[in-house]
Amino acid sequence: MASRDVVSYDTPLSRALKVLAGLFLALYLVWTLLPFFVMFVSSFKDLLEAFKLPAVGDWAGITVFFEFTPTFKHYTSLFTENSFGTYILNSLIAAGGSAVISVIFGSLAAYSLSRVDFRGKQDLFFWIISTRMAPVVAVMVPLYAIFRSLDLVGTLPGLILAYTTFNLPFAIWILKGFFDNVPFAIEEAQMVDGSTRFQAFRSILPLVAPGIGAFVVLCILFAWNDFLFAAIIGSGGAKTLPVATRELVQPQNIQWGSIMAAGVVTTAPMMLLGLVIRKYLVTGLTMGAVKE
Amino acid sequence: MATVTIKNVWKYYGETPAVKDLNITCPDGSFVSILGPSGCGKSSTMRMLAGLEHISAGDILFDDQRVNDLAPKDRDVAMVFENYALYPHKTVYENIANPLRLRKASEDTIKARVTGAAKLLEISHLLERRPHELSGGQKQRVAIGRAIVREPKLFLFDEPIAHLDAKLRAHMRGEIKHLQRSLGTTMIYVTHDQLEALSMADYIAVMHDGELQQWGTPAEIFNHPVNAWVAGFVGEPAMNFLTCDIKGQGDDVLLRHSNFEIPLLPGQVRQLNGAAQAGTARMGVRPDALSISMTRPDEAAMQGEIFVNELLGGDMLVEVQLDDCRIRVKTTPEFEGKPGENCFLSVNRDKWHVFDAGDGHAYF
Repeated sequence: MASRDVVSYDTPLSRALKVLAGLFLALYLVWTLLPFFVMFVSSFKDLLEAFKLPAVGDWAGITVFFEFTPTFKHYTSLFTENSFGTYILNSLIAAGGSAVISVIFGSLAAYSLSRVDFRGKQDLFFWIISTRMAPVVAVMVPLYAIFRSLDLVGTLPGLILAYTTFNLPFAIWILKGFFDNVPFAIEEAQMVDGSTRFQAFRSILPLVAPGIGAFVVLCILFAWNDFLFAAIIGSGGAKTLPVATRELVQPQNIQWGSIMAAGVVTTAPMMLLGLVIRKYLVTGLTMGAVKE
Repeated sequence: MATVTIKNVWKYYGETPAVKDLNITCPDGSFVSILGPSGCGKSSTMRMLAGLEHISAGDILFDDQRVNDLAPKDRDVAMVFENYALYPHKTVYENIANPLRLRKASEDTIKARVTGAAKLLEISHLLERRPHELSGGQKQRVAIGRAIVREPKLFLFDEPIAHLDAKLRAHMRGEIKHLQRSLGTTMIYVTHDQLEALSMADYIAVMHDGELQQWGTPAEIFNHPVNAWVAGFVGEPAMNFLTCDIKGQGDDVLLRHSNFEIPLLPGQVRQLNGAAQAGTARMGVRPDALSISMTRPDEAAMQGEIFVNELLGGDMLVEVQLDDCRIRVKTTPEFEGKPGENCFLSVNRDKWHVFDAGDGHAYF
C-alpha cells in the first residue's frame, strides 16, 4: 500500500512557517490551558491567597502565585453546605438520559432515513435539521409555556425531554451519515444468513459505533454544559451543576473559592469522558469490510 | 438441494423493467451461470432469488414451494456477495459461524462445521484474524466458507471473483467448480465474464436488457448462438460480423460482400430456408474459424491489408482491413505478415454463422 503522507520538501519559507506554526501552537496551548490551570490551583487556595497576584511586568513575582497552603475546604463546603452531590446526579441523569434516548431514537430514525426510500424523504430530513436552525432562546418562551402546562418545569424528565428535543435531530443527522457509509451488503448477508430485518439492523450497530460514540459525547457535552434550559426548565427541582455554580454568586459576596472548585467538579468528568471515548472517535471499524 | 424454477418473472424499478418475463429452470444439483453485461438484470434476478428484492410479477419456486413471499432467512439459500460483505468486527471464525449461530446450532456443531469448512477452503490458519487482515482471495474464501457451512438448498454467487487478480481468478474458477461438484448443491452463479460462465457452468442463461437470450450448455451457447448479440458477447476475442448480400446463383446460394463471394454449404442453404433469399444478412465468424496467408489460397479467399499484429503468447491476433471494415483473425505466432502488407483470408464454412440483418436471429 502506498504511503498516505503528503510529500513535502523543505524550503526556507516552509522552515519559517514551521517555526511560526510551533510558536502559534505554543501560545494557543497557553491561551487554552491557563484558565483551567488558574481555576484548578485557585480551588485549593484560601480567598486571600487567591488574590495574591504579582504586579504587571514583575515576572519574578510569578512565584507568589504558587505560595499557598492547599486546602480542600471549598470542595467539602460544596458537598456539605450546598448539595452538589444532588446537582452532579441531576446533571448526570439529564445528560445521560437525553443521550440514551437520543441514541435509541436517533439510530432508528437515521437507519430508516438511510435505508428506506419513501416519498418526501428529503423534505422530512430537511425538516429534522431545520428544527436546529432556530436559536434556543428563540423557542424558550413557547417551550416554557408548553412544559409548564404539562407540569414538566422543574423536573428531571422535563429537562431530559428538553435536551432530547435538541439532541435528537442532531443524532439523526450525524448517524445517518454513518449508516450511509455501511454497505447494504453486510445487512443483506446477515439476512440471507438467517436474521430478521431488526437483527440485521442490530448487527451493523458495531459498525456505526464511532458515530454513536461521537454523538454521545457531543450530546452529553451539550446537556452538561447547558445553562439556559437548566436555569429555566430545570429551575427548582432539577438543578444542574452550571445553575448551582451560578448561584454561588450572591448579592452580598461572591464565593470565588467555591466557584473555582465547582468549576473543577463540572469540568473534570467531561475531560475524563473525552479521554475514554477518544478511541471510539478515531477507530474506523468498517475498514476491510468490503472491497471498494 | 433443490430445483429452482423462475416462472414468468418480471422486475420493475419504478417504471423501468429490469427483468422481463424470465423463465428458467435450474435442475437439481446443477451449476447454472447467469451471464450478461452490467444492467442486463442478472443481479436483480439473483436478488429476487435470495429474497432481497420483491418480485414484481411471476413466481419463483424451490422444488414445488413458491418462495415469492418468504423472507431471505426462510428460503434456506446461501449467498456470496461481490464485495464479500464480511462482518468487519468479527473474526474469520465468527464470520463463518454466523449463519449457524443465527440458527441456534450447538457449540459443538458450530466448531465442527467451521473447522471443516475452513479446512476445505484452506483457511484454517486464518480463523482468528479479522477481515481487514486478509487479502482479497482470502476474504473471498471466508465468504464462501460462510455460505457452505450451513449446507443450504441453493447457493447464490454474485460475481464472487470479479475483484481478484487474473491468476487467482483462474485458480478460484477451478476451486468453485470442484466445490460445487463435491457438495452437489444447486448453484446459481452470476457473472459478466463469459470465460467464467463457459468454464464453470453446466448451463448458461445469457441475459441482455432484462430478457433471456439463450439457455443452454456452454458448448451450445458457444457453437450455436441463437442471435447475433449472444454470438458477439460470448467468445474472446469477439466474433467478427460482416454485412453481406444473399444471392442465389444456379443451385448455389452465395454470401456476397464487396470483397468476396462465398457459397453456403448445402445444409446451410436448407437452414436459410428461403427466408433471407435475395436480402442482406450478417455473416459472423470467430477469429479462430478464419485462416490467414500471404498468398491467395483459392478463388473464394478474401483479400485485405494487415492493420496490426498482436502477439498473445501462444497465439497471434491479426487485425485485417477488409475494404471498409476490420476483422480479426487468430493465427500462430510464426505468422510473418507485417502491417500494411496484403494478405488473404479463408473461412471455415462449418463454423460460420448467418444472422438476420433485422432482428439478428441466427439462421445457423
